[in-house]
Amino acid sequence: MSKNLNVWFFLSLIISLFVLIPIITVFSSFFDDTSNYYVILKETFLIEYIINSSILLFFVLLLTFLLGTGTAYLVSFYNFPLSNFFKWALILSFAVPPYIYAYSLTAFFENYGTAYSILKSLFGDNNYNQNIPKFDGMFGAILSITFSLYAYVYILARASFLYQSQNLIELGKNLGFTKFKSFYKIILPASRPAIVAGLSLVAMETLAEFGAVDFFSINTLTTGIYNSWIAFDDLAFANRLSFFLLIFIFALFIIENFSRKNAKYHFNSKGGFKQKEKFQLTGSNSFFAFIFCFFVFFMSFLFPLSQMLYWTIKFPENFFDLQIFDLLMNTIYLVVLSSFILIIFSLVSNYGNRVSNNKILNIFSTLSISGYAIPGVILAIAFISFIAWFDESVVKSLGLYSIKKIFIGSILGLVMVYFIRFYSLAFNGIKSGYEKINISVDESSYLLGYSKRKTFMNIHVPFLRNSLLFIAILISLEIIRELPITLILRPFNFETFATTAYISASEDLLEAAAVPSLFLILIAASFIIITSKYILRDNDK
Amino acid sequence: MTNKNFFEIENVDFYVGGKAKVKDVSFKIENEGDIICLLGPSGIGKTTILRTIAGLEKIDKGSITLNGRIISSNEINIEPEDRNISLAFQDNSLFPHYTVEKNILLGAERNKEKKDKKISLKQIVDLLDIFHILNKYPHQISAGEAQRASLARSLITQPDLLLLDEPLSNVDQSFKEEIQVRLKKILNQLKITTIIVTHDSYEAFYLGTKCGIILDQQLKQFDDPYKVYHFPNSVEVVNFLNRGILIPAKVTGKNTLENWDLGTIEGNFIKEYPTGSNVQLLLQPEDLEHDDTSNLKLEVVDRKFRGTNFIYTLKTPSNTFIPVFVHSHHIHQHEVDEKFGIKRPIHIDHIVCF
Repeated sequence: MSKNLNVWFFLSLIISLFVLIPIITVFSSFFDDTSNYYVILKETFLIEYIINSSILLFFVLLLTFLLGTGTAYLVSFYNFPLSNFFKWALILSFAVPPYIYAYSLTAFFENYGTAYSILKSLFGDNNYNQNIPKFDGMFGAILSITFSLYAYVYILARASFLYQSQNLIELGKNLGFTKFKSFYKIILPASRPAIVAGLSLVAMETLAEFGAVDFFSINTLTTGIYNSWIAFDDLAFANRLSFFLLIFIFALFIIENFSRKNAKYHFNSKGGFKQKEKFQLTGSNSFFAFIFCFFVFFMSFLFPLSQMLYWTIKFPENFFDLQIFDLLMNTIYLVVLSSFILIIFSLVSNYGNRVSNNKILNIFSTLSISGYAIPGVILAIAFISFIAWFDESVVKSLGLYSIKKIFIGSILGLVMVYFIRFYSLAFNGIKSGYEKINISVDESSYLLGYSKRKTFMNIHVPFLRNSLLFIAILISLEIIRELPITLILRPFNFETFATTAYISASEDLLEAAAVPSLFLILIAASFIIITSKYILRDNDK
Repeated sequence: MTNKNFFEIENVDFYVGGKAKVKDVSFKIENEGDIICLLGPSGIGKTTILRTIAGLEKIDKGSITLNGRIISSNEINIEPEDRNISLAFQDNSLFPHYTVEKNILLGAERNKEKKDKKISLKQIVDLLDIFHILNKYPHQISAGEAQRASLARSLITQPDLLLLDEPLSNVDQSFKEEIQVRLKKILNQLKITTIIVTHDSYEAFYLGTKCGIILDQQLKQFDDPYKVYHFPNSVEVVNFLNRGILIPAKVTGKNTLENWDLGTIEGNFIKEYPTGSNVQLLLQPEDLEHDDTSNLKLEVVDRKFRGTNFIYTLKTPSNTFIPVFVHSHHIHQHEVDEKFGIKRPIHIDHIVCF
């Protein structure tokens, strides 16, 4: 029996199609004419873009794997000094976007930077600069991205470790395995899907990274896209580069989705799974476990925070020069507006999928959540391309006024692209909330005389209230950190903490970047602390 | 209602996931307040019938009429919320974020203008003995309690038609019979027309004014519980109810049959058969009486203690296995391999043959 094609179905379909606009634009403009820039670039930089992107990806994946699984293993299986603190402190690195990490790294190690000042105050004047290592270029980019993103691997690996059967671990003991052998023979393979899922997220974020690689002047596909638009005004070529990058990302997206499905097995199989008793580490083992976790925590969070705090105190004039209140208001405005719209539309879309149970709608919904995997730069430029095309082909041919100004360089356009970028975050979050509501609950509601709308408002929304709050905070966290979309689409003279920090840094005024960076870190960290229980999936226990 | 049935299903195929589960079903409920029980094995489509009557599934053939109004047909499909039909699901379908009390009160919001048959929250709570869980959330109560809470929510809506899907399947056996008594009383008192799906034949026979047996994608029999039990209309119904065995016999007169192992059997045929015809006779455990003095002796191959009675399984010379009830107070208990006497002549009140 076919289900009704009701108003919820059409609303959901429209939302999904809207989110798909950038992907359709990128793919459809693949065959458009490009300028001479394409020929020049193809013969010069294109290979460099691909090689740099690949090197970056390889080393970031390697390091995030080592840091993420290493710390997750230690805090999941062992007790050592501050192990409970590290459990949640290690996710604070999410509060430091790679570009802000890059500023801290440079500020500390550059000639006459913070490291130099420390040495000078300790040992007096000397030529320390030549002995201070320089973390710039590719190495700097790898470190910045790694310390900012390793928590993806940490969170998923830890969740998987926590839900491993006690029997599985006892089996290792029974077979006479050492702790290390149990780890790589039993625990690690059983957590492989979760770790691959974490690494896939890291890979997508790395390929999408703009701020840090731009700061270190590394030419990657993402910066290439940005430059072909900003420097050469060649939207068609930007889209063509985006096409290559999207193919790359879709492959990762498929791997990630595949892995996540398997990883889910670990999270949901509560029956027969109990949390393991942790081993108490003593002596040097305890010391090294502490040192390792402290090193990662220090490097990923305390180091950039201290650097920004140091500069803010050292150069207080920057604090007073900056319109902090305006930046805060702008950020709150964007966060509240975008979160509200995202949650409302994602709720509608989820409910539409639920009541329609339509295969076509399911396909469009699945495609539409790929937005999170697409770099912000691509989304922003594809959105501009689409508006330009629509303006030329439809609006002007109807003899109407141009609509470009309504969407490009406006809050409306900015929020729309945020919507596309973070739609999957809201959609999937609400979807997992909905999965906890048995369909017979809906049916009971209808049979009690509630219409679909009343069921949605009176039964579903109150049930999902906590999930919605959590999703709103996650979206806010992402928007506060977001850089390329805001940079490209924000209205004239409209700045956020992220864009202010970027502009100061790109003008070589790193000290001035410290104040907005510090605010950004503190706001993001407070959001992370509020939601740490959910992020760590400890509520699943 | 004059000259009209309160509820009627005519030639309906019931579907789930595009596949027909039960075909060409017709039955009617003549009087408001009647209780109908549908019996059948698991997965046969009983729940699908309830879901379709409730409006959660559609039909493309036949019609379903309630109170003189077509609620489902190929052209008409009244939305579930507009039918005033209540369905209590077998599984917990309580709203997880509301307490049990709030869940029940949400049901009370429907039909609150109905003054003629009013049932209060207190009455429902007392009836189903759920006072102690009123302030709890669904995840804090047992499956049986959740089922009773769900039943309470359905009852309090005072629908035109109440549908109960295995309403007491999770309720403790010790409490089940008491709830059945209370449920029947309240349904009769409020005159709520009810269709109950169950796989428990005793529950169906007790609660139902009529019983329907669903087998092999068909409604095989729809009749009074007494008739369904004593006069099953097909071999399939006999097998499903597991009420006896079929043995070969020859009709020897207006009131007699002859079986190779048991000899002459007397009684009243519920259907006429010509003398000399070969039939399959339904022999139920209570049809044979024990008699130690009888010369008809069969071998005991099994003995089951069932509290009030024993069920002996006896082997005939032609290797047929016959079940026989004996009151458990009977002093002489027969062991396996012993001989067991059957009272002669054998008299069966209703002779059912196929």
